[in-house]
Amino acid sequence: MQYFIQPFHKKSLCQNEIFSPHIFHKYYNTIMKLEEKLQILTDSAKYDVSCSSSGSTRGESYGSLGATHASGICHSFSADGRCISLLKILFTNHCIYDCAYCINRSSNDRQRAAFTPREVADLTLNFYKRNYIEGLFLSSGIVSSEDHTMELIAKSLEILRFEHGFNGYIHVKLIPGASDDLIRRVTKLADRVSSNIELPTQKSLALLAPEKSREKLFAPLELVRNDALEQSKHPIGMSTQLIIGATPESDYEILRLSSALYNKSLLKRVYYSAYIPTVSHTLLPALHTPPPLLREHRLYQADWLMRFYHFSYDEILSPQYDTLDERFDPKLAWALRNLHCFPVEINRADKETLLRVPGFGMRTVIKILRARRARSLGENDLKAMKISLKRARFFITIQGKRVKQTTLKYEYLQNQLLALEKPKAGTQPSLFDRFQSFTGEL
Amino acid sequence: MTWLCDGSLEGFLCALYESFRLRRLPERLTRDRSTIDLFEEVYDIHTDDETAAKMMAHLRVQLAPDTLRRILHTTLCDDAAYERELLLYTRLALRDDKALHDLSQPVVFAIEGYEKRLMRVVHRMYGFVRFEMLEDSSLYARIAPPCNVLPLIGRHFAKRMEGERFIIHDTSRNLILVWDTVNLAVHPILEASAPILHAEEQRYRGLWKSFFESVAIEERKNYKAQRNFVPLLYREYMSEFA
Repeated sequence: MQYFIQPFHKKSLCQNEIFSPHIFHKYYNTIMKLEEKLQILTDSAKYDVSCSSSGSTRGESYGSLGATHASGICHSFSADGRCISLLKILFTNHCIYDCAYCINRSSNDRQRAAFTPREVADLTLNFYKRNYIEGLFLSSGIVSSEDHTMELIAKSLEILRFEHGFNGYIHVKLIPGASDDLIRRVTKLADRVSSNIELPTQKSLALLAPEKSREKLFAPLELVRNDALEQSKHPIGMSTQLIIGATPESDYEILRLSSALYNKSLLKRVYYSAYIPTVSHTLLPALHTPPPLLREHRLYQADWLMRFYHFSYDEILSPQYDTLDERFDPKLAWALRNLHCFPVEINRADKETLLRVPGFGMRTVIKILRARRARSLGENDLKAMKISLKRARFFITIQGKRVKQTTLKYEYLQNQLLALEKPKAGTQPSLFDRFQSFTGEL
Repeated sequence: MTWLCDGSLEGFLCALYESFRLRRLPERLTRDRSTIDLFEEVYDIHTDDETAAKMMAHLRVQLAPDTLRRILHTTLCDDAAYERELLLYTRLALRDDKALHDLSQPVVFAIEGYEKRLMRVVHRMYGFVRFEMLEDSSLYARIAPPCNVLPLIGRHFAKRMEGERFIIHDTSRNLILVWDTVNLAVHPILEASAPILHAEEQRYRGLWKSFFESVAIEERKNYKAQRNFVPLLYREYMSEFA
């Protein structure tokens, strides 16, 4: 691996004329303990949110170890409550680029490390056999050149697939700018590939990541899609990630972009990642700005409405309403703006209409559709099926009757629904409820 | 009258047979002798394999595969008192299988609920089983799931570990599931000694633990969500929580 001995490393050793073992260990990561590398390279990869191991359509089998599971499997959950499904690591966090938002940018003073392809394969196999993981998620900083980095990733995959006959899930981050042949080589071996757009508009990209452009980021995804279309194959699952809150784009612009990406059959999934300031930069939110987690959550809800509930982006938001309501989920907010569509009779409405009732999800709707085949449903039947009407009751009729007295007036509903959102009483006060204890709310 | 069966599938099938033979339903059907009061009238159902086999053959002919599967699955939910509901459900299925669509029937809802819960535990075990490599490079895992999912998780692991030998040991039921690269089988055991681990085992466990800790984002930590997803009862044998 010629790249472990880079001029940069050599220089730093030569400058210290006295040999100092701690610096030697710091830069020569062939000697760095595997455990330390794993820590550094996990730490650098963790801001990538994608971790799904579902929906693999790879037909080929490489050997006897491993399989994929249609629904995906979560093997553990980390302290932040996120699923751990894949061994999510960077191949290396060395990077020649200097993107302002990225923790691994070249100007950031950070401990650097790199795996060897064999180490990646060894970790994956041993974790897999112990059922720690569902497979591998391999991303990388760009070391020396795009092609060189992609080559190292391809090598890791080839060791796994060909040498060890590994059949588990592999998700690879394509390196924008790598040659078409390398991208094809990697895509052939992976279950899912992705390329992060990171910033929703060209303008923001130019500002924060001047070396990247929208075209360059999309190029590998388009290449893979076009290849699949030419061979009229089912394209490999692809995804991307957008950072939320680092730049001033509105929710409307973000959803419009996601919608366009889904419609072009380019992507299976767009991930949203609330920006966590890891580097200080004049163009970015200050360090210690709390990540906009609620906004991220609302965007995911809106995304689900587009992918599973047949909403289009311009129903959820419009240039006038360009921000998702923080108080209400997007479906409820849509219903409040479109009261003329309600009330809905649960015994007669079709599936699409029922899905648009706030408080009804896919499972509830399926339950209703199944049960009403037997007979017309009353309120008690819904109760017996444990269907919650907390939110839905304002928008439905059951056998022509309202559940409770209610009117379809915007102000009335808003107040009623806000009252539902209030935190439950009787929770134990914590030390941090300072504000509440001063105002006597306790 | 309270009927007492032995909790096995055969025991249940015999209770079902009795309900047809006597043309009556029990007020209570249980497998747990300790819940019986002193003055309660008890009918102890004798488990007879031949009767059970006959009943099973009958169900196989009469019921849709999905319904039969649901009945079999429910008998694995050994932490719930499912017996009487299952008896009613099976009788309903034999009488009128269209009624099984009517989720607002308490019996139908309850049995579907048991199966759903069982499958949820199965799915969780797919992820939460932790194998340890033993001296001879075979794999060994201990689990203590809330219901008896051992018979249901074997195929999944055998498919992905085709070439590896493994044993999954349910410590709360003293059952083991064995895959020897050819056959899959469940056996009851009396006792198990502590396993002797492979020399590399501790190292990989350490690597996994450090991965597990590094991957969490400090700014987003949310122990409540973590606990919803991995309830404490599953953590006993998960090395990253040790």
